[in-house]
Amino acid sequence: MKLIKLSITLLIVTGLLSCASNQNMRDASNYKIPVNDFSRTVELLISNQQFLEDEIMKINSQNPSVQRILLSADSDLKKENYIKTNSELERAFRITKNDGALYLRLAHLRYKQGLLKESESFASKGLLLTNISSWERLLLNVYLKN
Amino acid sequence: MKFKLTIGFFIGFISIIVIIFTAATVAVLDYRVTSKLDGVLWTIPAKIYSRPLELAEGINLNKDNLIKELEMLSYERVKNPLQPGEFKFSKDDLKIFLRGYLDQRSGIFNINFDASEIKGITNQLGISEDLIKLEPTVIGGMYPSHMEDRVLLNWPEVPPILVDTILAVEDQDFFNHYGISLKSISRAFLRNVQAGEVEQGGSTITQQLAKSLFFSSEQTIRRKVLEAIASLIIEFRYSKEEILLAYINDVFLAQSGKRAIHGFGMGAQHFFGTSIQNLSTDQVALLVGMLKGPSFYNPRRNPNNATKRRNLVLRVLNTSNKISDSSFETLKNKELGVSLPNYRTETRYPAFHDIVRLELQKNFDEKELRTKGLAVETNLDPVLQDSLENNLRKTKLQLIKKYGSRLDELEGAAIAVDISSGEVKAVAGSTKPSSYGFNRSINAIRPIGSLVKPFIYLTALDKYNDYNLTTLLDDSKLSLMSGGKVWEPDNFDKKFHGEIPLHVALWQSYNIASARLGIDLGYEAVENMFLNLGIKKDVPNYPSLFIGSFELSPYQAIQAYQTIASDGFYSPLRSIRQIKDTEGKIEFSYPYSIDQTIRPEPVALLKFAMQQTFERGTARGYSKKQIQLWNAGGKTGTSDDQRDSWFVGFAGELLVLVWLGFDDNRQTPLTGRTGAFQVWKNFINDIKPVKTIQSSLPRINYVWTDIGDGLRSGKKCKNSILIPFIEGTEPNKIPDVRRECSSKIESSRNTVMDKLKEVFEVGQG
Repeated sequence: MKLIKLSITLLIVTGLLSCASNQNMRDASNYKIPVNDFSRTVELLISNQQFLEDEIMKINSQNPSVQRILLSADSDLKKENYIKTNSELERAFRITKNDGALYLRLAHLRYKQGLLKESESFASKGLLLTNISSWERLLLNVYLKN
Repeated sequence: MKFKLTIGFFIGFISIIVIIFTAATVAVLDYRVTSKLDGVLWTIPAKIYSRPLELAEGINLNKDNLIKELEMLSYERVKNPLQPGEFKFSKDDLKIFLRGYLDQRSGIFNINFDASEIKGITNQLGISEDLIKLEPTVIGGMYPSHMEDRVLLNWPEVPPILVDTILAVEDQDFFNHYGISLKSISRAFLRNVQAGEVEQGGSTITQQLAKSLFFSSEQTIRRKVLEAIASLIIEFRYSKEEILLAYINDVFLAQSGKRAIHGFGMGAQHFFGTSIQNLSTDQVALLVGMLKGPSFYNPRRNPNNATKRRNLVLRVLNTSNKISDSSFETLKNKELGVSLPNYRTETRYPAFHDIVRLELQKNFDEKELRTKGLAVETNLDPVLQDSLENNLRKTKLQLIKKYGSRLDELEGAAIAVDISSGEVKAVAGSTKPSSYGFNRSINAIRPIGSLVKPFIYLTALDKYNDYNLTTLLDDSKLSLMSGGKVWEPDNFDKKFHGEIPLHVALWQSYNIASARLGIDLGYEAVENMFLNLGIKKDVPNYPSLFIGSFELSPYQAIQAYQTIASDGFYSPLRSIRQIKDTEGKIEFSYPYSIDQTIRPEPVALLKFAMQQTFERGTARGYSKKQIQLWNAGGKTGTSDDQRDSWFVGFAGELLVLVWLGFDDNRQTPLTGRTGAFQVWKNFINDIKPVKTIQSSLPRINYVWTDIGDGLRSGKKCKNSILIPFIEGTEPNKIPDVRRECSSKIESSRNTVMDKLKEVFEVGQG
């Protein structure tokens, strides 16, 4: 019984993830999948940059040093100081290369800088991490092109 | 009357000439004084720095390397650190008194380790700190043609004791004269006669500045007169504070190779490896004492003269009540404290410097680099750099011992980069790495031998419906026409091996199998893969390309391997992080950039085959546990007639490539294993990379296969090996001979939980 419940839960989450991976964040209306019927949250993620950014900034690192750097990087990102944000994220990256929070921010930063292919590459690389949560996985999928 | 008129006219004429001449001289001098003091003097060459080492909780690093870096930064190992620049290491704890750097304040910090991982950092009050930073090493500069180097100081950075000492020794009346002081000359004369030695000079600071800026040291009346006029102009044009600051920044203190060390800021860096603010009174006294004769009182070359002179300066400070009697007694008995001889502040690491310079020249013009005082923060890791240089040199000596003096002129190059970010950590361009000259890391364009094979195999594995690691390749005799000649490649062992699985052909580095595979794939497919790997070079259409006649520099070759080691994510190699202006503002940055050019799954298969090079191929010798901890993989390369010996390998977060050969391209007795791999091994064993985390690829399944026929096998079967396959490409056929032994396995796989896990782990790409 427990196993069946777990399977159903997992299948629902998997469905969410695979749909999210097929979305283009720039314009949700481009797609045939009826996003509104599926999930209001996913639609917001792919259509509302501010909502997406807020969600990304809620993802934190396990490492206290990286947490401190992320605070500073997030503040610089809000001020649209992209060079400084990048510099902070690279500092954090030198502490740990195994942190979904960093790949998410790098993907988002590059997206804001208009470097879409690079944004996608960071998201793809983040998805190769072994320790990311399904929520991080979903957020990273937002940056993958259709 | 006529006579008087003529004399009067003559005197008048001469007077006018003299006035015009004097006015012209003053005008010229005035122009020179203002242009120099307003311009050139305040130009500073760009400085190139290593990366500052940041220590934070959770970081893995080798403790021995940390100690080496502290020693390179002239930190002193003591029993109890009480002043900046001291540290104590005991088992798992490092107590360090940081000197401070930019936003990193000076102070005592305790760092606690658990094996190689930093578990915590606390400050003096026991409060937890997230991140601390060691100061970087200056590794060179972009010096102008006159090779003057200085660290420009502004008034807030000038310690009062420096001003007191300069004034006490050089010019006590500085604030009271107009550039020339008869009083100073007579007082210095009397003082020196009383002391029986030269304690004070007669020239004022302004005169010394004028002399240093415009005149040679020749002792002629004409020079003295011009110097006096220039001094008066300086006094007329500038305030006393401006003159003193110019003097502090301009005085000549030493010659280091071709580089002239000017100013106390640079002097402190050169002799003590730190900033002027961190110097103690005796160290300041030493530097000021050197003004009298920078060479004669050089503390490295003539420590006795320097000690005598320093103590004399301390005595002057004592008699002018700047230091107490007890301080004088203590200070005069102190060691000189100059930094270790291996602390080289002149352009270190010329090969790395070359690469930095080439990158800089893309975005800055020469003038900006030589005058704007830019701070170039690089990715250089000084400990890795020293180790790479030392091991290249050391291995050459080992090879000479083994193969004899015919290897005396053996040359080499080696590069270490961070796999994920493409940061260049260390570069050696010669087996004599500290000397300037031909930088082989970027300029030696050589056939890469078998280093090309992983590129060919990856082209195949990327077509994963047609090829996998067990696809049988044909290693039988090949004969074809190329360029009007018959081309018949050989294997290194001069044998043919028939049909062999792809992964075996790679780690055994069979030439014919590789050539046949390349021909089957076609030039266009291979050329596309080269491009995806980051090789921006025309690929020639001849079959020897597939076995290594293709030429690359070590730097180009390691770029291609970075893409492989990084799971198909190409990152342009970067030697520079960012460039800051004199205010510390980022002027230009070289951001971390990636481009997924190849799917990760085929790359994972290739990396597995490259791991076999360590487990059973040409780089064998490490334990399986060690190989897996590092997630290591590599490839040897030997060009035709053994003219080039190559090895490239990844271990932990590092990718390291080594090339050995002769500049005149003559034959060596070395293969990739016996030559370049030995350098790699010595380096890796020295720096001991920390463990790395493997990527997660849910679409990869491992299946036992037979090492001979590549078909399905079982754990219990002979000659079986666990091989990764992209989902759906696994071999199904189990030969009858292995049906029994292979049936014993599999039960542990494919449990319900495994299947759920597979469903849950949604992949990408």
